[in-house]
Amino acid sequence: MSDAAINQSKRGARAVILKSIRDQLAESALRDAASGKEKVEQTGVVLSNEGSSIAVDTVQANGQKNNLERSLVRPFREQLEAVGGHCLVVSGQVEAARALNSIIAELQTTPLPTQRIALSDAPLVERLMRETGVKVDEITTSPSAPDLFGYDIGLTAAQAAIAETGTLVLESDYERHRLVSLLPPVHIAVIDAADICPTLGDALRRVRRRGPMEMSRAITFVTGPSRTADIELTLTIGVHGPRELYVIVNEGPPLTTD
Amino acid sequence: MSHLDHPTTETFDANARAALTDMQLRGALRNATSLFGKRRLEASQSLDNWEELRSQARAIKDETLLHLDRYLEEFTANAERAGAQVHWARDAAEANGIVCGLARERSAHLVVKSKSMATEEIHLNAALEAEGIVAIETDLGEYIVQLAGETPSHIIAPAIHKTKGQIAALFTDKLGIAPTEDVAMLTSTARRVLRAKFAAADIGVSGVNFGVAETGTILILENEGNIRLTTSLPKTHIAVMGIEKVVPRFADLEVFLKLLPRSGTGQHLTAYQSLITGTKRHADDEGPDELHLILLDNGRSRMLGHAITRQSLACIRCGACLNACPVYQQIGGHAYGSVYPGPIGAVITPQLFGMAKAAQLPYASSLCGACREVCPVKIDIPELLLHLRAEITEGAEQSRQEAGGSRQGEAAIKRRRLERIAFKLWAAVMIRPWLYERSGRLFRVLQRFVVRGGKIGKVEGLLARVAPPLAAWTTARDLRPIERRTFREQWRDKPVD
Repeated sequence: MSDAAINQSKRGARAVILKSIRDQLAESALRDAASGKEKVEQTGVVLSNEGSSIAVDTVQANGQKNNLERSLVRPFREQLEAVGGHCLVVSGQVEAARALNSIIAELQTTPLPTQRIALSDAPLVERLMRETGVKVDEITTSPSAPDLFGYDIGLTAAQAAIAETGTLVLESDYERHRLVSLLPPVHIAVIDAADICPTLGDALRRVRRRGPMEMSRAITFVTGPSRTADIELTLTIGVHGPRELYVIVNEGPPLTTD
Repeated sequence: MSHLDHPTTETFDANARAALTDMQLRGALRNATSLFGKRRLEASQSLDNWEELRSQARAIKDETLLHLDRYLEEFTANAERAGAQVHWARDAAEANGIVCGLARERSAHLVVKSKSMATEEIHLNAALEAEGIVAIETDLGEYIVQLAGETPSHIIAPAIHKTKGQIAALFTDKLGIAPTEDVAMLTSTARRVLRAKFAAADIGVSGVNFGVAETGTILILENEGNIRLTTSLPKTHIAVMGIEKVVPRFADLEVFLKLLPRSGTGQHLTAYQSLITGTKRHADDEGPDELHLILLDNGRSRMLGHAITRQSLACIRCGACLNACPVYQQIGGHAYGSVYPGPIGAVITPQLFGMAKAAQLPYASSLCGACREVCPVKIDIPELLLHLRAEITEGAEQSRQEAGGSRQGEAAIKRRRLERIAFKLWAAVMIRPWLYERSGRLFRVLQRFVVRGGKIGKVEGLLARVAPPLAAWTTARDLRPIERRTFREQWRDKPVD
């Protein structure tokens, strides 16, 4: 088929499908009118419409902010641990580096290899890694996709988190962490307590910027390590994604103001 | 399951009977459906506004479906603005043609696939194979099923019909590992084998759970990470999406993200959600170079024409109705002979693939209503089943009038005529007390021929031929005979104080 013919048939399919939809809906409307049925459209449920649900984050600005942050760290931690993730709460960069150090030390006591560490391109991540002073074979920022298959640990920041579900929110516009958080068997993420949202809805409003062009092209929600129960319903951790997920939550002065 | 290798919907009754004799399958089904059912209930009770969320979700779906043309155009425009290429496919052949064409243009040899009902519906793997392109399923359950040359038996857990022993034997045979029944070992074997495929794949093919009209975003949920790999690693990402998957607003996702994982696996949230809006902004960004979205009709727009059938398109493919269904619980997914099994399959399959092929499915239900109760988008499946049954009967009569009705149609007409006579007789008896009483007495005399040891056991021989329903009823259970003295007689003879 020539390109023109393909385009022709493509336009054809679109027109045919849209026409079929309109015809069927018109037929249904006629039938509903005839049978005196109320239109489904007018059922009593109020739909949230655009604009009504944007400004929630700003409500929590100012005064009570610190208290709110603290109160969100606990549920975040509980939810994350409930799905098999690990959570370390620290205050400030020195403690964060120490926590990172202890995670790597702990991993070195397990059969998991820990010699090759991949970093996302977030400056914070590189800073922390340098401060730990751990001795490993290799630390690389943003390795290429084919190389990443050979790394043992992926270290990233995250743009937000969700307290009610223990979820990390990764936005591709702010950091190269799409693969570093996915391919290595261990994923360690660092986040400021200030970036924890109370609910899933809050997180969706946060990542949803005005207009499609303003949203990150790839937004990933991560809740615990990769899991499956496809063989006899037996829960198994680490099937395609990371087997271990560590989140370092910083309650001290924000680390991510790069 | 050798006796059920490739069951089709036409032979549902026989498939179901065969499945009932498979004790291993029934044990596995009992475990799976009761566990999923229990988890769903607990997860739904973890929210205090579950019912409100269900109503909200349904209202969003209803609103979308009533303006589906508009929302699809809005979705298309926004997805294209963000760099995606949108294709429209009227049917399976057209959708497969688009995928195969894209693969050919890119000289692709290897396609990695994440779990997608839509691609199973159109049999994309077979179409790719015919082009000499290898398509690998990467969801663990789907991978097992593909290795075994079988089909999925559950929407959420495709390989629940297989024991770990069978899976171990399969892996030893096909992947050459040492025999083991250690589930963690089997899983890490699949991880190792499939990682090599991900690294080498030219194209990633995924499904779509929700497409957002106002942003052009697609949302895909999973637990394993294979969808993230499928949509991040290969240069080209193709997502196949039924036209009913669109929702109007980004904020609408919240409701569905609360309902779908809880209804499907009983999780508050699955491990991963990928929200993908178009293609990357800069050449050195991570992710595929191109995103192709294929909007698939394949019989869906037809369902919009009636308020009852339209609700089929509200389905979010959670699988809760399968676990709740007393029929599915006994026979599993293969007996339905369709990619869509269980109660929702019994209503979707005939509508998508034609009543002629699936006329037995709307009868594969006791109309108990358990499916309606658990459905997160409140689809009235029993109402749909009855609607389709009516269509089957009316269709048969119509095709007879047009002469040249099918054999199945003829049988349906005959059955309908007999049913009419039976119900007329029943009505005539029930409105005349004297006749009711006399019939009772008559049957009390007649039943002497079949009552053995105080019950009516299996009815065979001549009587079975005269009264097929009686024979059918008593093949698997006893019938209680009419009492020697009925309640009416006892009441009448009661001594007056």
